[in-house]
Amino acid sequence: MSIVLATYNIKGGVGKTSAAVNLAYLAARGGHRTLLWDLDPQAASTFLFRVRPKLRGGARKLVRMHAPVVQQIKGTDHDRLDLLPADFSLRHLDLALDAFKRPTTRLARVLESVTPDYDYVFLDCPPSISLVSESVFEAADALLVPVIPATLSSRTFEQLEELTGDDTSGGPVQVLAFFSMVEARRALHRGAMARLREVHHLTMLGAAIPASEDVERMGDERNPVAVFAPGSIAAVSYEALWWDVQRRMRAGR
Amino acid sequence: MTDRTAELVAERELAPEEIAAALAELGLAVRAADADTIERVYLDTFDGLLHAEGLTLRWQRGQLELLPAGRGDIPFAAAACPDPAGPLPVAQLSPGPLRDALHPVIDVRALLALARVRVHSTPLAVLDALDKTVARLAVETPALVSGSGREALLRPRLRLAGVRGYERELALVRDRLSGALGLEPAGATLADEAVRAAGGRPEGTGAKVDVALDANERADAAAAAVLSRMLEIADDNLPGTIADTDSEFLHDYRVSVRRSRAVLRELKGVFPPGELGELRAELRWLQQVTGPSRDLDVYVLEFDATRALVPGEERAELEPLRAVLGGRRLVARRQMVQELRSPRAVGARARWGSMLERLVALPGEDRPDATAPIGELAAARIRRVYRRMVRMGRAIGPDSPAEEYHELRKQGKELRYLLELLGVPLFDAGVVKPMIRALKGLQDVLGRHQDREVQTATLRALADEVSALPGGPACLIAMGVLVDRLERDAAAARAEFADAFASFASAEQRARVRKAFGA
Repeated sequence: MSIVLATYNIKGGVGKTSAAVNLAYLAARGGHRTLLWDLDPQAASTFLFRVRPKLRGGARKLVRMHAPVVQQIKGTDHDRLDLLPADFSLRHLDLALDAFKRPTTRLARVLESVTPDYDYVFLDCPPSISLVSESVFEAADALLVPVIPATLSSRTFEQLEELTGDDTSGGPVQVLAFFSMVEARRALHRGAMARLREVHHLTMLGAAIPASEDVERMGDERNPVAVFAPGSIAAVSYEALWWDVQRRMRAGR
Repeated sequence: MTDRTAELVAERELAPEEIAAALAELGLAVRAADADTIERVYLDTFDGLLHAEGLTLRWQRGQLELLPAGRGDIPFAAAACPDPAGPLPVAQLSPGPLRDALHPVIDVRALLALARVRVHSTPLAVLDALDKTVARLAVETPALVSGSGREALLRPRLRLAGVRGYERELALVRDRLSGALGLEPAGATLADEAVRAAGGRPEGTGAKVDVALDANERADAAAAAVLSRMLEIADDNLPGTIADTDSEFLHDYRVSVRRSRAVLRELKGVFPPGELGELRAELRWLQQVTGPSRDLDVYVLEFDATRALVPGEERAELEPLRAVLGGRRLVARRQMVQELRSPRAVGARARWGSMLERLVALPGEDRPDATAPIGELAAARIRRVYRRMVRMGRAIGPDSPAEEYHELRKQGKELRYLLELLGVPLFDAGVVKPMIRALKGLQDVLGRHQDREVQTATLRALADEVSALPGGPACLIAMGVLVDRLERDAAAARAEFADAFASFASAEQRARVRKAFGA
C-alpha cells in the first residue's frame, strides 16, 4: 500500500513545491519507491527536476486514462524517484474533472493505476480552493500544510480545516501542518509559532523550515537542497520534517 | 514493457572519453561520477539450482544479494552476510526475505563461492540539453581473483540502464555506442563468464545419467558408457562427501554406487567373471561404509518432520534425541571419511575405472552377452525383474514379515534403475514413463514401511544413551509415543500396499510390459 501525501495551502508562495521536492527526494533516498505528481500548471516541481513540462494529450487525456498514466511518468536524476510532470493544460484540470459523474473521486482513480509501483506518492498542488483541491483531499492520506508564522497566513489553516472537516473528529484526511519560511529572529514569527502550537486540535509538526538562501537557490541548482547543500540548516530541517512525517504516518496506520 | 537495461561487452578497454565523444554527436553529454572498485563473489549450489531458475546470487560490500539474471542490477532480496569463504547452508542465513526466496529453490544444498571478481566501475550519467539524466551507464573492468589473490582480466563491459520515460534515448545511446565503439551484446552475464573463467560450470554439476544408447549397440559398450557416467558422478561427489559440504553429495555418491551395482548384477554376462566378482564386492563394501552416515543424515534432516508425528506438548521433550543423533552422525562420518580415504577405496576406484576402459577390448569367451544388442538384453532383464516382483508381491499379505516387504523393495529399486538407465534411452517413453510412475507409487509405500521399521529399531537402540542425558526420562517417554506413531504409520503403509501393488501388477500393466519388452 502506498502512502499518498499532498503539499497544500490555499495561498501561494509558502513553500509547497520546495517541501514536495525535498521530501520526495528524501523518501527515495531512504529506499522508498517514490512518485511526485506535479499538479500545478506552473510546473515548478517539473522544472526543478529538469523534466520538460509536457503532458501528452494534456490534462483531459490524463484524467480520462485513455492511455496508461504510467506512460507519462519520467524518471528523475535520482534513484527511485519518478515524476508525473505538469504542463500548462493543468489550468483546466477542474473542467476535465467536472466532466465525470463523481468528479472528486476521479483523481484518486487515476492515481490508483500507478500506486502499486510506489511506496510514497507526493502531490504538489496548486494554491486554490477548487475541484482539484477537493479531489486531492479525497486521494491523499495526509495533507502537509506549510504555514508561514504570521497572523494573516495562519488564517489559511483555519480555512482549510473548515474545508476538510475537523481533524479530531476522525475525518478521512489527516492534516499535518508545519512552519515554513521561518525567520527565527523576528518576534512576530516567534509569537505566531508559540500561539499556534498552543491550539491543541492543530497538528503542528515539530520541525520547521527556515527562510533560507539555500531553499531559494533550488531554482538555480535545479536539485533538492540535500544534493547541493547537504548539512545546511535547510537540508537538515527537511530531514527532520521527513522523519516527523514518517513517524506520524506510521502511528496513524 | 520496454527493455530498460542492456549489457554490452568490448574486446578492449573502454575510456569514458570515447563514450562522451560518441554521444556528443547525438547532442548528449556525459557526466562521470567517482569510480569505484568492489570485490564480489558469485555463489550457487554445486548442481547450479539458482542458475537453472535464472537467478544470480552475489556477495558484495557485506551483503548477499539475489538478482534475476540479465534484468539490470537491482536485487530483489538481500541480507547482511560475512565474506562467504566456505560452503553456506541456507539455514545459516538470518531469517528474512533472502532466506525465504532461496529456501524453496536450494533446500538442503549449500551455497558455494564459485568465483571472486574485482570490478572497477565508472558510473556515467547521459544528459540531455536540459542537463537531465536520460540514461545511466557504467563502464566496468572486471577481473577474476584467484585463490592466491592474482587477478586475470575479463572482458570490459558497458552496462546501460534506462530512465523511466526516456526509452527512446536509451535505444539511441545503445545503438550509437554499439556502432561507434564496436560493442557486442553480452551473451552471458558477468557471473557466468567469471565462473567459466574460474574453471567452473555456471549451470553446475548435475547427477543425471542421461546417456544416449542405441538398441543395436554391443551390450558391453552400452554398459561401459552408462557405468562410466556413474563413475564420473561418484568422482564429482566424492570431495563434497568427504568435506561434508552438504548432505546431497553423499546421497548422489551412494545412488551412483548403487546404480552401478544394479548394472553389474543385471548385465553380468558382459563382464569378465573374475573382475566382476571383485568389483561387486568392492562396491558393496563402499555402499556399506557409507550407509550409517547417510541414515543419520536423514534422521537429522527429517528430525522436525518426524517429531511432528507426536502431539505438541511432547515435541519439546525430544530435544535430547536430536543431540544424540547429531553426535552419532559425527562419529559415523569420521569412520566413513577414514574408509573413503583408505587405500582400499582408492584401489577400488582405480579398478572400477580401468575395467570400464578395457571392457570392450577384452576377450569375449567368458563374456557370453558382450556383443548381444543392448536392446534385447535390457528388455529381457526388465521383463524378468518385473515378473519376479509380480510373483513376490502376490505372495505378500498383511501379516507377512517385514523382510518380505523389504526384499520386494530391493527388487523395485533394481527395476527402477533398469528402467531409468536402459529403459528410458532404449524404449518407447509411452510405456516406460507410466511404468516408472506406477513403480514409484509402489516404492513410496514400501519405502515408508521400511523407513518406519528402521526408525523404530534405531529409537529402541538409542534408548540407553538418551536416558543418561539431562531430560532423558522425559525424552524416553516422548520416544515411546513416537515409536507408537511410527508403528501405526508402518501399519498404514502396509494397508496401502495392496492398492499400490494392484496398479503396478494390473493385467493392463502386465500386457504393456509384455508388448514393450517382448514375451
